[in-house]
Amino acid sequence: MSFLRRAPLGGILLLSVMAVLMVGPILTVVVWAFAEKWRYPNLLPTVWGLKYWYVMLGRDTVINPIVTSIALTTVATSLAALICWPAAYAFARLRFPGRQVFLFSFVAAQAVPKFALFVSIAVVFLRLDLIGTFWGVVFVQMLSAMLVMIWIPAAAFRGIPPALEEAGFDLGASRLRVFLLITLPQAMPALAASYVLAYVGILFEVDSALLIGAPQITTMPLVLLSSASQVIVQEAAVLCVMIWVPCFAVLLLTRRFMSSKGIAQGFGA
Amino acid sequence: MTIAKPLASGAKAPGAFLEQAAGLALIAAPMALLITLILLPTVAMIWGTLQVPSDSGAQFGLGRYQAFFADAYSMANLRYTLFQTLASCATALTLSLGIALYLRFSEGRIATMIHALSLFPLFVPSVVISYALVRFLGPNGLLQLLLEQVGFTHYRTPYLTPVGPYIAFVWENLPLPVLVLGAGLSQVSDHAIEAARDLGAKAPRILVEILLPQVRRSLLIAFALIFLGVIGSFTVPYLLGPPAPEMLGVFMQRTLGNLRRPEEAQVQAVMLMLMASVVSGFYIATMLQSERGRR
Amino acid sequence: MLNVTQLTKIFGQTKAVSDATFEVGLGELICLLGPSGCGKSTLLRMIAGLTPADGGQIAIDGQDMTARQANRRPTAMVFQSHALWNHMSVAQNVSFGLRVQGLPKAVIADKVAAALTLVGLDGFAKRRPTELSGGQAQRVALARCLVVEPKVLLMDEPFSALDAHLRANLREELKSLQRRLQLTTIFVTHDQEEAMELADRIVVMHAGVIEQIGPPGELYLNPQTLTVARFIGQMNEATVTLCGGRADWLGQPVSIAAPDGLVTLLCRPEDMHPGSAGIPGRIARVIDLGPMLRVSVATAEGATLTWLCSRDVNPQPGAAIRLRATRLLAFHDGRRIGGRRIGTAQPLMELRQMESVTP
Repeated sequence: MSFLRRAPLGGILLLSVMAVLMVGPILTVVVWAFAEKWRYPNLLPTVWGLKYWYVMLGRDTVINPIVTSIALTTVATSLAALICWPAAYAFARLRFPGRQVFLFSFVAAQAVPKFALFVSIAVVFLRLDLIGTFWGVVFVQMLSAMLVMIWIPAAAFRGIPPALEEAGFDLGASRLRVFLLITLPQAMPALAASYVLAYVGILFEVDSALLIGAPQITTMPLVLLSSASQVIVQEAAVLCVMIWVPCFAVLLLTRRFMSSKGIAQGFGA
Repeated sequence: MTIAKPLASGAKAPGAFLEQAAGLALIAAPMALLITLILLPTVAMIWGTLQVPSDSGAQFGLGRYQAFFADAYSMANLRYTLFQTLASCATALTLSLGIALYLRFSEGRIATMIHALSLFPLFVPSVVISYALVRFLGPNGLLQLLLEQVGFTHYRTPYLTPVGPYIAFVWENLPLPVLVLGAGLSQVSDHAIEAARDLGAKAPRILVEILLPQVRRSLLIAFALIFLGVIGSFTVPYLLGPPAPEMLGVFMQRTLGNLRRPEEAQVQAVMLMLMASVVSGFYIATMLQSERGRR
Repeated sequence: MLNVTQLTKIFGQTKAVSDATFEVGLGELICLLGPSGCGKSTLLRMIAGLTPADGGQIAIDGQDMTARQANRRPTAMVFQSHALWNHMSVAQNVSFGLRVQGLPKAVIADKVAAALTLVGLDGFAKRRPTELSGGQAQRVALARCLVVEPKVLLMDEPFSALDAHLRANLREELKSLQRRLQLTTIFVTHDQEEAMELADRIVVMHAGVIEQIGPPGELYLNPQTLTVARFIGQMNEATVTLCGGRADWLGQPVSIAAPDGLVTLLCRPEDMHPGSAGIPGRIARVIDLGPMLRVSVATAEGATLTWLCSRDVNPQPGAAIRLRATRLLAFHDGRRIGGRRIGTAQPLMELRQMESVTP
């Protein structure tokens, strides 16, 4: 396709358009977070400052949901890791009856629109009085993490040459020791990356928090949702920058450990 | 030295049994979660929607569904959801294909930057981009300001119109197909393309006859994933969309959370699943095919 | 030290290893030799315990190991890909087996230092596997095995990924180390030269079956099967039809006491000699191997004979020549049926004899 190579102009055009459209919206939010006064038709804020940071950080109705969110997400992601990583190892390395069927059920679960699932769970939870409870939300959020926490670690475990584990076993270690001393450290970068990916996904999840958690459990993304339509624009902007930017930074760091091919394969490409 | 008899073909060494038991034990917890949170509630929900209240207690019937189909508002939401989903899918796929093709045949810093930009939405949660687009596309938003700088004063904001969510959906769903199609396109070797050009084929023909067939599977999987993601979406249409018609996600949340009518919400959920079932079934079939091929 | 009896492994419909039986004495180095897919690696892995056997027995030092897991057997294996753990240092790699045993830190440190010295890697303790060359990595892998003092050392083509010069050096070092430590070793390779250099005895395998076991010289001079004869060293080969105990080999009449049918005759290139009587031919090519010359001779019948001769013979391409076989091996149905050194009255085998009649 040499005509593309001969036209770097086309590339620059594409790049500029994409830069504006992809980064523009986020940039707007970032600017708003540091604006004390920004009135139309000025292109930039007239007064810069951190006023609304202090406002948000001082508000209980903001801090409490943030704390709740972090607690929920940490518990949900860690629990998911605890039950999913050994399962990922089993899928990657062990042979047992029904392996294909079970693995396949995860794919099938991915094929159902998630909101419909949440509604069905919400109705069941209504009857079980689990709506608005901490653990109710945790279990539903674990669902969202499961796919990431099984696919990426399974690919990582599969990528470890069997000779590495066999050598340890041959030298006298028990299977558990081989897993702890050899397999886990080898897979750790990918495992950490999957943890971070799942963590950020759960942290910002709205659908399940709204259907299962409300009204007793308020999470940070719900605050974001409600303040998005508020008159004071800066509030939601500050929340975004305060919470999301660090997440984005960490995600970028872990991206090194996840190849694009791996992610694509996880979805069946 | 005794000569050991060979083990009977049906018997398994003790090590193999242990491996099987261990494997099943390790997957038990996530499978249990899957069954209790996905399988059972879904079955219960479908069952529940088939129970029609009547004087002699709940009876089996399609009454609830008939009510749904009879309700003009519900049907309008259904149609709107389907239309919005298909439109966003088509646009996202086309744009992603274009970007993926460009990236396949380009090198250098510009290509790398475009690649990074196209993957950027992977790291942005739904709620953040929805809000950001409100500020960007909304009245007196940054886009309007920029356009006015270059003299364009007739900006009509897509905020609170169907175009708003449409833009957000396309934005959100660019990276996945770029990734999936990129993987598929990279499997077509440069030699195969050069051979075609050598024989006189021009770009459109190369595209249609060589590239597209190779990425057919990737395209279909990407389509399935975007479709399934958009059709049940809540946050994007909630923040950016019109109050009516609503996408089914918003409709369901209002029915369940605000109106407190769980039975109706269940019917809506089943309708959503039915709408998605064609694509779901097809996605599962394709994955099954690839698993078989891999074995 | 090691006794393997009727060891069998079946994958689906094929027998990867069929009733393998052999023994290895204390301090002996034996090679499992054969082409790819002959089952030698599978056999080794069964001895290690990494692949479960489908039948047969393994005993080490009198104790039955067949039912034991790999981590309970007194064996240690060096893998083809060195299999070092790159999240651990060299010292941590080498000390792994000892740490699993729970030995005190001081003892471990001493043993690790001693093992590294043995393999010539003094001072490498703190390095990481990613900093090592291929040869150094394999030495660390070896040290890792030696340090646990196994009764049997198993090596699965450990040098095949290294270049020829390095391979030769490591072979030398391994042999002297193994002799010094009197370590019973089983070495798998597909390289017959390597096997000839290293082994006290060689086990030749083909398609899962052990064809012959013996010292290198024995295998070279007295191959029992066609596969062994062809695999080790080079051969001139001819298939002749026996009729009434007589056959014609490229003009040289031959008599063999065997039933009528096809018989394969083999003759080593160095067992061919020029003379006034013999198979007529013309010198086609002379390849200079350095210490010897390898000559291709085209016979009148269109066959090509390979003849190995010393430099002072000075053969010229194009010259006419007559070659006699002074040592022939006869095979029927893949198995050896006879052989005769021409010029002595002593047959090599008690079985059916074959004579070469010189006109």
